[in-house]
Amino acid sequence: MASQGLAARLYAGEANVNIIGRRKLWFAIAAVLVVISIASIAIRGFHLGIEFAGGTSFSVPATTGSTTYTQDEVSDAVERAIKSVDPNAEVVSSQTLGSTGGGGDTYTVRASTLTAAQAEQAKTALVTDLKLDATKVSDDQVSAAWGGQVTRQALLGLIIFLIVVMIYLIIRFEWRMAAAAVSSLLLDLIFTAGVYSLVGFEVTPSTVVGFLTILGYSLYDVVVVFDKVQENTRGITASSIRTYNEATNLAVNQTLMRSINTGLVALLPVGGLLFIGAGLLGAGTLKDLGLVLFVGMGFGVLASIMFAAPLLTVFKDREPKIKAHTARVLARRASAKSGDVARGERTGGRSSNMAESDEAPALASSAPRPGARPTAKRTSGGSNTNRGPGNRPGGKRR
Amino acid sequence: MHPGRQLAVLGFIFVVLYLLVFFAGGASGSFTDRLHPKLGLDLVGGTQATYIASVQGGQVPSKESMEQARDIIDQRVNALGVSEAEVVIQGDRNIVVSLAGKADDQLKDLSQAAQMRFRLVIGATGDVSTVALNPPTATPSAAASGSAKPSTSAKPSTGASAPAVSSSASTGGQGGGEVVKAPTPTPTPSASASASAPAAPPASADEKALLAEVQKKVGTAAWAAASKLTAPVDLSTDPTAGKPYAPFAKLSGDEVNVLTPQMQMYVPTIGCTQLDARPNGAIDAVGKQVVACYNGGKILMDQAKVVGDDISKASPQLDQQNGQWVVSLDFKSEGSTKWAALTRQAFEATSDAPCYTAATAMYGSIEHCAVAVVLDKSVISAPQIQGVLTGTSQITGQFNASSSKELADQLNFGALPVTFSSGPAQTVSATLGTQQLQAGLIAAAIGMGLVAIYAFFYYRLLGSVIFLSLLLSGLLTFGALVFLGRTVGFTLTLAGIAGFIVSLGVAADSFVIYFERLKDEIHEGRSPRSAVPRAWARARRTIISANTITILAAVVLYIVSVGAVQGFAFALGVATVLDLVVVFLFRHPIMTMFASTKAFLSPRVSGLGRVLRRAPTDVKEA
Repeated sequence: MASQGLAARLYAGEANVNIIGRRKLWFAIAAVLVVISIASIAIRGFHLGIEFAGGTSFSVPATTGSTTYTQDEVSDAVERAIKSVDPNAEVVSSQTLGSTGGGGDTYTVRASTLTAAQAEQAKTALVTDLKLDATKVSDDQVSAAWGGQVTRQALLGLIIFLIVVMIYLIIRFEWRMAAAAVSSLLLDLIFTAGVYSLVGFEVTPSTVVGFLTILGYSLYDVVVVFDKVQENTRGITASSIRTYNEATNLAVNQTLMRSINTGLVALLPVGGLLFIGAGLLGAGTLKDLGLVLFVGMGFGVLASIMFAAPLLTVFKDREPKIKAHTARVLARRASAKSGDVARGERTGGRSSNMAESDEAPALASSAPRPGARPTAKRTSGGSNTNRGPGNRPGGKRR
Repeated sequence: MHPGRQLAVLGFIFVVLYLLVFFAGGASGSFTDRLHPKLGLDLVGGTQATYIASVQGGQVPSKESMEQARDIIDQRVNALGVSEAEVVIQGDRNIVVSLAGKADDQLKDLSQAAQMRFRLVIGATGDVSTVALNPPTATPSAAASGSAKPSTSAKPSTGASAPAVSSSASTGGQGGGEVVKAPTPTPTPSASASASAPAAPPASADEKALLAEVQKKVGTAAWAAASKLTAPVDLSTDPTAGKPYAPFAKLSGDEVNVLTPQMQMYVPTIGCTQLDARPNGAIDAVGKQVVACYNGGKILMDQAKVVGDDISKASPQLDQQNGQWVVSLDFKSEGSTKWAALTRQAFEATSDAPCYTAATAMYGSIEHCAVAVVLDKSVISAPQIQGVLTGTSQITGQFNASSSKELADQLNFGALPVTFSSGPAQTVSATLGTQQLQAGLIAAAIGMGLVAIYAFFYYRLLGSVIFLSLLLSGLLTFGALVFLGRTVGFTLTLAGIAGFIVSLGVAADSFVIYFERLKDEIHEGRSPRSAVPRAWARARRTIISANTITILAAVVLYIVSVGAVQGFAFALGVATVLDLVVVFLFRHPIMTMFASTKAFLSPRVSGLGRVLRRAPTDVKEA
């Protein structure tokens, strides 16, 4: 057994990583991340793109006298002009406006926000640079294309969604699971927003859209894990084999490979976007979207395992029925410890594979338990194989 | 259900979708033209129009009202949230709207203010400006047309239809005059008396200056005569009675606008052409009486008792009875009270009320007063009120399917707080262009390739199921995008394309859930054949729960949000529904069929091999 690597055990859903037991650690990490994120959002804020913050637009005729400039030349000249005024300013987009009534094309170059005085200076610099007719060049403040109403309605939608999804999860699972799932989603959202604020990535409409994609995806992961937890803990109080926390830890382990797989499969295309967007094109929509999705989805997978499930056990520990059941299982185990030597040995042998830190009381018991299920299964598996080999490929190979 | 039947359903959906793509929703052009989704402003460029806010009283509109106007225009141009329009405020008073593709038509009516007012009609007279200026030399002809009038007005339908300006205009005027005199001579003065009270406008300095100019322009004699008018000048008895007012005919729309409503109404030489030339928003004032033209005659309307803001919802409807398009209105609770009060006033008006006289002048024999439905500068309709209306009411007018929808949208999105004049439409180039589009498609290919490699590596032969269904999802999504682009204007920006790529990856997630379940079942000692239906039953529950959440997100965001977020929700919903279609109608039946083949049972080809091998190993160890 020891010869089998983590990968193989993961593959078989028997990694036996003690996740629930270290819940205090995960909560501490989550708390730190949330505090850092919120502090960063509060102090640093976001680097908002021109679509949110508005900007300055320069309008330049394509042809002045006998000289005709290309869009790129004008765009570069504007870039130089605004950089000379404000080193942080940048050109956001440039477009060619074709007049339908004749009279030549016009280039519109949009840059980040400048004050009226700065814009005037930049315009002067631009006119001198390209030797333009000053009266033909105009600068204008441009408002945000993403109106305040869009943000307001999106936030309202987000709140309503959280309420609706909470109700759905309460019906589908129970309120504790719903609360844990939504908390995990919130953690994911806050963390992703925090990363944006902290690193200072630009927030564009693409980022917001990506951010909203995380909504569904993050919960998707949690539902997968909770579904298994629900399955494993159905009627758990009727038997005294394992505590709720142990059953949850088992479910998390069983779905670990699933979570890693779903995470990978979803992140691969996102990685493709990021690679092309950031690597080949440098900046723009693809990078914005790829980045937010990569952070949000990646963290969403982690949060579903390391935060949602542990949080659920915390809620569950407070449920009288589960509390009594856990006490019963532990008491029974303590009394059986001296009697059932063989079983103790087996589980003891397995527990060496596991991580050792078991501070939580529930965990002291959870250490032997994860090993217990494969044991039980092995017996049944063995009986299967006994009658099975004939018609099973596995048997043939051997 | 039999796997074959599910695949047949899928095939049917596929065929129908692509038939729609090629032949429905205004498909035209060559084979490849019909396969183009609608690409966004960032990728292919489009059309741009600038709307300039009119300066009122020498003041640039406030930032707030410009922002509000921007939001409303944004909603008008992007009612479904899928057209990816860009609407920005440029400088102090310009709103620039950019739309993908050739969109001149869509940009035309965007800047209409859409101020709706419901006003009681309290006076009506013909547009007699032509006759007043050029009194007919042959008196008999006037008399003849005068005598023709009663017969016309006896039939409301003909009376309501727009009379030609010159000949019947005189009869209209005469008709109005006659009716006013016949029943009770008193109501007219009392009408004007009550009218003049609220009509004293708190004119701005600019308006006062303009008014003084107008006084000078028309001359003191004409001004004095006009100021004394309390009823339409009756040209039927004296065809030359319009003479003293001749100078008024030279006034421009702006100049007419500063006159009192009474003057605009009673001075016979002010015609509909001048009234229509008044600036936008000329008759918006809620607390004032106003004059407008309707069916070629002038009508004087009371203060607006009900306005567009009182409407909670407007929707276009086809009246089953007469096949006419109408706009159906629901009022807010407060608005409903006001509307009931207004219609009661019109319905219960007795024959001595000014509105009764006016309605008689408009329609001949009547029983109730008329309420004018005014949108911006024009009277859409001025129907007689047939009862006290409390609930849903309808506006009739010369609507067709698209104009009724346009009006309903405008009412729903609210009126612009500022009036605009529109500049020319210009073509605008793409901000990103085809290079970025190609990069996006390359990214898609890389992403899909990675998913496929991972699937083959991890699940071996089962990977081919993933690969095939990704391909299928891709084709279905593409077909849906082309069709939606043509029918509801769904526009794909680069972000949209990226979103769909990601959604394909997320769709592959549901495979992982299914296959891992399958592995569990086989691990627990089931044969692949019995494991498939069991794993499916369990995975289905998880997949449905997870997708329900995504669909909830899409529906909630679509209903609540506006603009780009709404467009995103739409795309999310489409992608999720397609995912479910592929999961239920392709993957499950294919897996059922797979489970009964030899290849599936071989560990080498199916990714389940290692699990199958593991069971014996465990035995040895145990």
